[in-house]
Amino acid sequence: MPGETTPPHADRAPALRPSRDTAVPADEVPAATCPHCECPFRSEHARDLHVGERHDPTPSERERYEAALETERDDLWLFHAKAVVALGVTYAATVILYMVVLGSFF
Amino acid sequence: MGENRPRRRVRPLGQFVAAAVAGAVLSERVAAHSGSLGGSVASATVPTWLTVLTGGIVVGGSFLFTTLLTDHDAMRGVNWWRLAVPTPTRLRRGVVSLVRACSVGVLLAVLATGFVGPREGVRNFALLLVWVGWWAGYTATTYLVGDTWPALNPWRAPLAAVRWARGPGGDDDRGIDSVVGEVSLPASWGVWPAVAGLLALVWLEVVSPVGENPRLLAGVVLAYTLVTVAGSLAVGEAWFERVDPVSAVFAAYGRVAPLRRDADGSLSLRLPGTALTEDPLPERPGEVAFVVALLWVTTYDGLVATPTWARAVGPLVEAGVSALVVYAAVLIAGFVLFVGVYRLAARRVRETADTYVTARAIERWFAPALLPIAAGYHLAHFLGYFLGLAPALAAVATSPLAPTASPLALVLPGWFGSVKLLFVLGGHVLAIWVAHSLAFELFPGVLAAIRSQYPSVVVMVFYTMTSLWVITQPYAPPPYV
Repeated sequence: MPGETTPPHADRAPALRPSRDTAVPADEVPAATCPHCECPFRSEHARDLHVGERHDPTPSERERYEAALETERDDLWLFHAKAVVALGVTYAATVILYMVVLGSFF
Repeated sequence: MGENRPRRRVRPLGQFVAAAVAGAVLSERVAAHSGSLGGSVASATVPTWLTVLTGGIVVGGSFLFTTLLTDHDAMRGVNWWRLAVPTPTRLRRGVVSLVRACSVGVLLAVLATGFVGPREGVRNFALLLVWVGWWAGYTATTYLVGDTWPALNPWRAPLAAVRWARGPGGDDDRGIDSVVGEVSLPASWGVWPAVAGLLALVWLEVVSPVGENPRLLAGVVLAYTLVTVAGSLAVGEAWFERVDPVSAVFAAYGRVAPLRRDADGSLSLRLPGTALTEDPLPERPGEVAFVVALLWVTTYDGLVATPTWARAVGPLVEAGVSALVVYAAVLIAGFVLFVGVYRLAARRVRETADTYVTARAIERWFAPALLPIAAGYHLAHFLGYFLGLAPALAAVATSPLAPTASPLALVLPGWFGSVKLLFVLGGHVLAIWVAHSLAFELFPGVLAAIRSQYPSVVVMVFYTMTSLWVITQPYAPPPYV
């Protein structure tokens, strides 16, 4: 949540150890790295979100985190629109399929 | 009823296809359009392929629903909710000692009645207790209530007794490894011995009449007792954690249960399945393989009792291949296939979530989400079997050596089949929730977490459809064994 002053620290969540659990392919340079835990990321967007969620961000990091959240919200709206359409289509298709099979459609 | 052979549990499920179809229809909200559709009419009109497809649609649809839930803090509120259950140490120790003494007594009774009791399955205490009371009923409590096996396990008694005799510090928690000799399990083996043990036990259950012959069952229990006691004395606590497949199965199922022991030994009550989002699998080789094996053996158990299997295996056996080898080869090949598909899905997650997290870490991270599926199938397979034969078990238990001539069996109503299908689907839906929660913990933001689910949802949809296909097949006894 952007309004909070303290990030929801992962006190109970299982922990990821960047040195063991991440690997960057030899021919790639990570687009961004977390300044707190050295975790490599494929995009600055993911790094900014990670810093805000998992660490105690500095004011500039918090700004970037909130900007990243904003982008995330816009993309999520589009995604949810697609998901709702997919759900509706699946539902309708299933109903029609059952009607066809059970012989009450034609 | 009069059914005493555990693997016939597949048949009742097959018989309930009709009701199962009705359940599937309901879950897709088509009931309004086919309001008069009773459980008895459906099987003639809804073909198997549609039942199977509906299962896939329900799982895919519940994934789409889950993507609408994106408030990470609210998810954590649900997943981390817990209620402490006070358990004074003295009470705990007393109960554990009492319960273990009882379970050792029951084990001796099983051996005695297995060797000298009546030969008919429904009248033999050993057979009823092991398959109905223990493998069907007790196992269900490990994921519905909590894993009580470490306290109940009668085969722990010798190890506990030796430790106690050695004096202070001999607490039943871990500590000293070996009691006799200086044997220790190489750490690099991880839980692979338990994986091999699980596959071996299931193979034995399928190819031998251990489910209907009390003498053979008693022999197997005796052999298991000797191996387990010797092994636990040789390598200590590690035996039950890494070698004994029975303890490993209960520990895995116990991860789904609402009652969990926290790291400090205190007991807490949680929402079912939410502990899976918090406790990662131990970092040992074979942990992921064990979870996948647990899932595969459920499918295998049903698969070998289908007519399709009988048709496929017939020509091979007639060509001179030993049936035992065919059964073992398919068991191992299927396991390798399941592990392979899971690994492949984990590798694909790296791309869909656009992350540098290794495939190995992803495998380990998401494996707990498979456990509710295994538990759901276990409940669907065994609850009817347990309820049907529980009266017989109760009747026989009152006089194990001279049981009544024909113990009662409960006949379950037809709608019970729909309830079974709901258990299967419930397991899958819970798995989707667990995977969704785990993804939010692993990947930053919302969209990467959702996208990380694509490969596993595809795999899960196909797995549901495969399992539903197996369940809807008519029962055919596994041939040539």
